Formats: sequence, C-alpha cells, structure tokens
Amino acid sequence: MSNEIKTGEELLRVEHLCQYFGPLKAVDDVSFTIRKGEVFGLVGESGCGKTTTGRTIIKLYDATSGNVYFKGQRIVAGTRAYRAEIARAKAEAKQKLAALDKNDPASAAERQKIVEECCRIVDEQREQIRRAKVDHFHSDKLYAKAQKDEIDREYLPKIEAATDPEEKSRLQAEYKNKRRIASRTKLITQIQMIFQDPIASLDPRMTVREIISEGLRIQGVKDKNYIDEKVYDMLETVGLVREHAGRYPHEFSGGQRQRIGVARSIVMDPELIIADEPISALDVSIRAQVINLLNDLREKRGLTILFIAHDLSVVKYFSDRIGVMYYGNLVELADSDELFAYPLHPYTRSLLSAIPLPDPHTEKNRKRIVYDKMRDSDFSHDKPQLREVRPNHFVLCSEAEFARYKETIPRD
Amino acid sequence: MADLTNKTKKLSVRDLKISFRTQSGKVQAVRNISFDLYKGETLAIVGESGSGKSVTSRAIMGILAGNAIVEGGEILYEGKDLMKISESEFHEIRGDKIAMVFQDPLSSLNPIMRIGRQLTEAMLLKNRASRNESRRDLNRLFDSILTATVAAAPEETRQQVKAEFSAKIARFKKFTYKQIQLEKSYRSALDNAKAAVKEIVDLRYALANKIPGRTSEDLHEVLSVAAHTFDYFVVMDEAQALHDALSLARIAGRAYLRDRSADRDPAALIAALDNISGILTRAIEKEEPNLFGLGYYLTFVDPQIPDLPVPELNALTHQKLDDEFMLDFIAQARSGVEYAAAAAQEARKTALARISERTPFFADPQSDAAAMKAATRELADFVRAGINPVSLSKDSASYTFEGTVISAIETYKSAIGKNEAEQKRFEKQTEKRQKLVDAGKTPTWEVAPADYLDLDDLREQIVHQLTAMAEHLERQITRYGEKDYQALTVDMIDYFKAKAAASVDKLTKAAAKNYAIDLMGSVGIPDPRRRYRQYPFEFSGGMRQRIVIAIALTANPDILICDEPTTALDVTIQAQILELINRLKAERDLSIIFITHDLGVVANMADRIAVMYAGKIVEYGTAEDVFYSPAHPYTWALLSSVPDLDTNGRLESIPGTPPNMIYPPKGDAFAPRNKYAMKIDFEEQPPMFRISDTHYAATWLLHPNAPKLDPPAIITERIARMKQNGDKRKEGGADDEQ
Repeated sequence: MSNEIKTGEELLRVEHLCQYFGPLKAVDDVSFTIRKGEVFGLVGESGCGKTTTGRTIIKLYDATSGNVYFKGQRIVAGTRAYRAEIARAKAEAKQKLAALDKNDPASAAERQKIVEECCRIVDEQREQIRRAKVDHFHSDKLYAKAQKDEIDREYLPKIEAATDPEEKSRLQAEYKNKRRIASRTKLITQIQMIFQDPIASLDPRMTVREIISEGLRIQGVKDKNYIDEKVYDMLETVGLVREHAGRYPHEFSGGQRQRIGVARSIVMDPELIIADEPISALDVSIRAQVINLLNDLREKRGLTILFIAHDLSVVKYFSDRIGVMYYGNLVELADSDELFAYPLHPYTRSLLSAIPLPDPHTEKNRKRIVYDKMRDSDFSHDKPQLREVRPNHFVLCSEAEFARYKETIPRD
Repeated sequence: MADLTNKTKKLSVRDLKISFRTQSGKVQAVRNISFDLYKGETLAIVGESGSGKSVTSRAIMGILAGNAIVEGGEILYEGKDLMKISESEFHEIRGDKIAMVFQDPLSSLNPIMRIGRQLTEAMLLKNRASRNESRRDLNRLFDSILTATVAAAPEETRQQVKAEFSAKIARFKKFTYKQIQLEKSYRSALDNAKAAVKEIVDLRYALANKIPGRTSEDLHEVLSVAAHTFDYFVVMDEAQALHDALSLARIAGRAYLRDRSADRDPAALIAALDNISGILTRAIEKEEPNLFGLGYYLTFVDPQIPDLPVPELNALTHQKLDDEFMLDFIAQARSGVEYAAAAAQEARKTALARISERTPFFADPQSDAAAMKAATRELADFVRAGINPVSLSKDSASYTFEGTVISAIETYKSAIGKNEAEQKRFEKQTEKRQKLVDAGKTPTWEVAPADYLDLDDLREQIVHQLTAMAEHLERQITRYGEKDYQALTVDMIDYFKAKAAASVDKLTKAAAKNYAIDLMGSVGIPDPRRRYRQYPFEFSGGMRQRIVIAIALTANPDILICDEPTTALDVTIQAQILELINRLKAERDLSIIFITHDLGVVANMADRIAVMYAGKIVEYGTAEDVFYSPAHPYTWALLSSVPDLDTNGRLESIPGTPPNMIYPPKGDAFAPRNKYAMKIDFEEQPPMFRISDTHYAATWLLHPNAPKLDPPAIITERIARMKQNGDKRKEGGADDEQ
C-alpha cells in the first residue's frame, strides 16, 4: 500500500517542539517532517504525548518551545528556548565578571567586552522572540496578506485593461468577493483534525449540513447553493447520501458519525489531516469502513495524514512512516516496514510484543517484552539524541547504544 | 487444548430469550441462545455492539434493566435456575459466586471514596449481614426445638422440661462461644508459628551468608511473631522450652548486633533460632486439640487446661462433654425432633386431604375469583402447618404456596376483564362497520378479529399449582418412614455449631484491610499499602482496571464475567490486564466469560469462543476451530476486518449496520450484509450445523445441498501464514518470536 503513492516535497516540519504543562513535559524536544502525500503514524501508549503533539501543531495549545513549519511558513513558534538562552548568557557573563578583579583597572576593557557580548546575545534572542511571537500569532494574517497580494496581482491589471464597462464591473465584483474571502482565509484551516470520539465531537444541536458547512460560513462564503452543493459533495465522498444533510448526529450509527467527522474535516480542502485515534472508539466491524474511507480519500485527493493511534497493527497497515513516542520523547522514527522488520529501541520492541493477533498458537506462546526505562537505557553519561542508524531510521539513543544498534542490524 | 468432556459444568444457559420494552416496540435482544461454561475455562463471547452479548451477561448477573422481559429459557447454576430464584437467594450468588468486571474502570469506581474503602466495603457489609442472619437462624431454630421438645413431654412435666431444656441451650451457647474464641486464638497462633518458621529460614540464610541488610529489624520481627504462638497450647507442653529459647535468642541477637567487627560470628544466634524453629515445627505437626470438648471443659469443669499431651487431653474433654452434657442433650433434642416430624406428618396428611377436597372447586369455571382467594388462604394455613420447624432444609414450595396460587388467580381474573374489553371493542367495531355498509359505503378498513386469552388454560394453571403441591406433600409423607432421627439430631447440632461460629465471626476493619492489601498485591499493584489510601483519580487506566478486578475477587467468586475489560485501555496495558486475568484464572481455578468485540484479544485468552450476531450465537467452537477453520460468513467478516502485521490488500469491511431488532429479519439476520447470502438465507433461519464435536455454526452454507465456498482470500492467506509460523516455531524450538 505504502509504495503506490509517491511522496513529494516536505509539507510539515516539526523542530524541537516542546509542550510543557507546568512541570509536566507532555512533549519534549520532538522533531520530524511529513512529506506531501504520505501518512505519518504516531504511536505510543496513552499519556505519551502523541495527542498533545497533534493539538500543538494545529495550535489548540501554545507551544512552549520549538517551531512548526507548514508549507514553508512558520505557524507555531515557542519562546522558552530563547528565554533560556538569555538566562544562560546573563549567568555566564555574571560568572565571568565575578572572576575578574573589580578594582583592577587593567581588566576594565575585558569587562566592557563581556558586557557587550552579553548584550548582543540578549538583543539577538529578543529579536528571535519578537519574530516568533509575530509568526505564532499572526501567521494567518501574513498568509492572508500574501493571498490578497496574489489576487491583486491577478486582477488589478485585468481590471485596468478591461475596456467594456460591464466586463469591468463584473471583474471588479469578482475581485472584491475573492479579496474578502482571502482576507478571512487562514493558513491553519489547511490543517484539519478528526477526533477520537465521534459522539462528543459533533454538536448534538446542529444538523449535519450545519456541522459540515460551519467552516465555510466562518470563512465568509455566503452563497447558499454553493454551500449545499459542497455539503452534498462531501457527503457523497464519505459514502453517505444527500438526504442525511438534514438529520442530527444522534440519528446515525458510530461509523456514520465518524464519516461526518471526516466530511467536516475535508470540506475546507485541507492539505494535512490530523487524525487523532479516529477508530479507537469504533466497533471492529466499523473500523475497517473508516480505514478504507481514509485510504480512498488519500488516493483521490492526495491528502497528507498525521495518523495518531495506539493500535499498531492498524498503524502498520495504514502508515508510510511511523514515529514511536514514549513519555514526551520521540524514541524511534522509520519507514513502517523498516520499523517492524528491525525495531531497535527497547520500547518499540515492547510495544510490538504487545500487539494481539488473531492466532491462538502464536498468542499462547507470546512473550511480552517489558520496557523499563531505568533498566534498559543508561543515559547517565551522555544525553540521548535521535541518531540515524540506517538510512531514514532514527533512534533516540546514547553513543554507546548507537554503536550497539549499528552492530545488530544488517547493513544494505 | 483442555479436554472439556470430563470437566464439570459450572453454568449452563438454555434457550435464553430476552426482549426490551421500548417506546417504538419490543426489541428482541437475545434470541434462544444456549451455551455451557465449564470449570476453569474461558468462554469468549464475541460480537458487535448491540449483538446481545452484554445483555446475556447481565441476565446471568441478575442485573437486567427494568424494561427487560425474560421470555423464556433458563440459566442453571449449581442446580438452581437463576431466572426463577428470588432476589434474596440471588444476593448469595451475585458478587459472591458470580462477579463482574465492567468496561469502563472509571465509571465503575466511586470517585469520592478511597480505594481501600471501596475494596473492603462489600466484605464488611456481607460479613455483617451474614453474622446477623446466622444469629437470627440460630435463635429461631433454638426456639423451635425448645417448643417441640416441650410439646413432646407429657402434660404434667412440661414446665419442668422447659426449664431444664432452656438451661441446657444456654449452656450449649455458652461453651460454643468459648470454643469459637479458642478456635480463633488457636488458628492465629498456628499461623504465627508457621510464619515464624518461614522467616527463620530466611533470616538464618542471611546470617549464615553474611548478607548485609535489615538483620536487627528481621530478628525483632521473628522473635515477636514467635512470641505470639503462646496462645492456647500450640506450644503447650514445650512452653517453657520456647520461653527459654526466645530469651537465649534475644541475648545472642543483642550480642551479635552489638559486635561491629568484620568477623563477628553468628553461630550462637543461628543455634538459638534453630532451637525456636524446631520447637515450633513440632508444635505445628502436633495433633489438633478437640476445641469443642475443650470449650466445655474450660467453661464448666476447670478453667485451667490440664497438663496432658494432646491425645489424652482430647479423650478427657470428649468424655467429659459426652458424659455430662452431650448425650443427654442429644437425647432430649431428639425427642423434640421426632415430635416435630410426627406433628408435621399429621398436618401434611390433613393438608393433602383438604387440597384434594377443594381441587374440584378451583377447577369449576363457575367459581368466583374472590371465593377462590379465600379458599387459597384457608388451604395455605393447612400447608404451612405441615412445615417442619426444626428441619434444616427449607421447604420453599410450601412457603411460597399461597403467593403462587394467588398470583395465578390474579392472572386469571385480569384475563376475564381483558376478554370482556376485547369483546366490547370487537362488537363496537363490527357495529360501526355494519353501519357504514348499511349506508352503502365500502369501508377501507377491516375489523381486527377478536383476540381472546385462553381462560381454560389459565384456570388449568391454578389447578396445576394445587396438584403440584399435593404431589409435593405426598412425596414428603412417603419419605417420613425413612428418617434416621439420631443422625438428624447430630446434623442439627453441627448446624448450631456452624451458625454460632458464623454469628460471631466478625471481620474487623484491620483484617479486611490486610486481606484487601494482599489482594491488591496479587493483582499487581505496586506498593499496595500506600495506594490503599488513594482515590481513583490517582490511578492510571490500567491500575484502575486492576482495582476493579480486585474488588470483583474480594468474595472469592467461581465465575468472573469480564464485559469488555480492555476496550478502554491501550495496547500495552491491555496486554498486561489480559495476562493478569489469565494468571488469576489459573491460580484460583476461575471460570471466565469474556465479552469483547475484538477477536484479536481473545486469541490468547479463550478456550472456547461463541460469536454472536443479532441476539443469536452464529458460531461456537474452540479457539482453534474459530480462528483456523471459521465457518460462518460473519466470523469471516469479523476476522477480515482487522488488519494484522502482514495485511497489505484492501480491508474487507462489513457493509451496512446490524438489523433493527424490533423487526428481526425472517431468515438469517446477517443475510442483508452477507455477500455470500443465498436465497434461503432470506427466507428461513439456519439451524446450528455440527462441524465437529466442539464446533457448530448456524449458516446454510454448511447444508449438504449448499455450494462449496471458501472463506475470503484475506483469511485463507492469513491462516496459511499462521500455520506456517506455527510449523516454523515447532522446528526452530525456542527461536525468537517478534
């Protein structure tokens, strides 16, 4: 499945993303990229930060530190790292100053140099913080401005050139309408989310039509016929029928509700969908329906999907690349076949050993590997880093482990 | 695979049929399902939501919703039909014998109660209830035997007999309670002795090998436990020796601990410990004293225990008890037992005669309901008189006679009213239609035919209750001659003893806490002593589910029903919980009903699997049968809708949704979603076809005339792969499984 779709250029880049809730490090220094058209699976047990990662990317939380680039533009930027840098520089300068003799006139120049160096770093980092804030809070405005500029470039010459007054007024109206919509367009709407619980994520007092078209209306689309057509189109895409548009969520079964959630997420023509455990709350027989639907959408619309789940056999089936998370860290990142063929990190091994399989003989002989961070990893000497053990296969490990992993796997 | 043929059946469900009354009609949730559960096996019930699997489990627990109608069938547990027993009888089964673990651990725990209280609450309540009940039973039986004995005596000596016998009962009570006290201290002293011997082994090893550690605490612990074995003659004849040994050990221990040098020698301490261990081991192996007799001796003969070896002591106390009290007591009680039985026999004969006399009156269609009720009450008095008050087995048929007959009469009476109403409706509609016809119009509606209830049948029901009672009485009357009164009296005294013990067997909070902490440890909760005081929100999902399992195990049930216990948990935790359930099953010889919608989960758990769809079992077999040779298209669909690690092709999803069970389909319920459905599937329900001794499936595909069909490729390929893996494993032996 994974080889049929060509994956293109980089769509989303997550750099050193951290999300802390007070002392709790829900996501700690996570980096990965998602290429256009691929399905990136994020797995781990509950509480490991995979959902928080998804929510931080879509700006439901304000990131503590790190950056997220979407289509080359920075949409999420945290400032903690810059502040830490300022604090570090100040402390260092203080230490250096204390080491010098205060009354020694000879060291005056030296001191001056230290203070200047410190001020330079502080200014530099403050500038970074300012830019991060602009990018984080005004990325949509910047995007809208770029869109408007493009429309300006397209229409203004045309309007200038138009000779027929009727043609001119038509163009002018079109230009105004497009500009209005563009001014409300947000870059973040290009990323949409499918939630875990299809019951809780749909407003029980809204009809399916209202639920699906809400995004369009917020964006400023007023043409009722256009909205209706779009809603019907979406319903048919996800395997429902037009008549369903007038109904309320409670009138649907679990699988159908999740389809409505999918329809809502694709109505804005997003490029990236964050699917947060979309099948965990569904019956087994319906899971297959939803997975097949997502697969179809991906083929037809070239969607890119960040698939968050804890069910490894489904993730394996559905994803091109997989990232394994453990307590806020990304511990292993590889192509899905590669990951399942050569799992390296002990936590990945323990996850794989826990997958239930429909095979009594295997199951009765199964040996579950238990991961114990204190026992299995020794990070007392050097801080672990993501290192590339094989091409495109990264593992969070220390230098010693890195050498050991290199030995254990066959080289191409 | 366990051989199930020689295993005992724990539970068997026969033709169970349950519906729910709803606004829009009657939903048929469970339609004629039957299965057996054997001792020590896991039966998995697999199906989609709404297939009736949870309803089945709730019926077994007796916790169906209020709008449920049990339309038929039986659930047999220990010879009782759980669908028919009274709520008070169910109290003794629900939770005690059959326990349940629910799906969502958060909602099955009380958020504002500490875990410890939730674990011990049921234990303490049950204990208090059983104490009260035992006390009531005991007093009731004492009263009835007293009355019977007094009545058995000749007229003139009755006053005297009454005084005498009630004094005897008082004595009996007194020394029985003494015996219970003795029993308790004896048991705890014995337990302490065993614990001390065990700990001495550990400590001795640590000392001999100079393992550094908590020597001083351990030594203190051992000595204090050993000191608690003095209670009641566990070490009676060697009490002085033990006392000396303990003193020696204390001195040696102090010397050893005070010596800080590197080559300190533990030999003296080890010798002292060995000495203690030897004395205690001998005490443990000694014959158990006859505590019942001793209780009597200490209460009425001599408050000091005579200094004799146990066998002689037993002989002495036994003799004393028999000579001075027991034989006399039994003889007198026996006269009461005989008298009560004879009186009951006479009363039964009268009752039988009265019932036969009145039966024609009940059978007569002219009899009025009110008159019948009055007659029933009169008969019931006779029947009640035939209940033997000193019998140990409950004569529930006689107790419930009045209630059952009166309810049958009520049903009959209301049926008369309903028939009259129906008659009126029918006449009115016919008249209306006739009017229209007379006016020259053609009405668009037909008159619904009158639907009368069968009065004869209902009357027959009433008479049936009477004849059943008559048969019951006859059986009792013929059995009268076969009774051995001596044995009956001895049984009664044993019953007194047991009830007396139960009525003072108080479970203290401390004991309940210790038991709960043990239980928490055995379900794998680390540091149970600290966690005992925490609230549910302080636990993770997996830990909460462990707590729920521990609560279910507090009463030591023999059947555990797990209703989707892992659906709310993620993969690693799920694997842990499944392992835990498997381990507990092996340790406690539990029978488990495991309900789930995920076939992958049950492969490692289940001995047998029942696949349910739309309230029916569609396939039933061992785990191997169902996974390696599935026969029903629904099982195929379930298996092929889960991807495994090697699945690459498109998943086979099941189209559509389960049928609306207000209007269950005529044929096979799965037919509309089944791409292999044949014409007959839409017309007639398939019976259970037998594939092998253990494997059954309800699909027309197994009919000899059906076309031969193979399961979908995705399954056949997977099975082939699984077999290959299995062979590989056999060849490779212990090669690494990933």
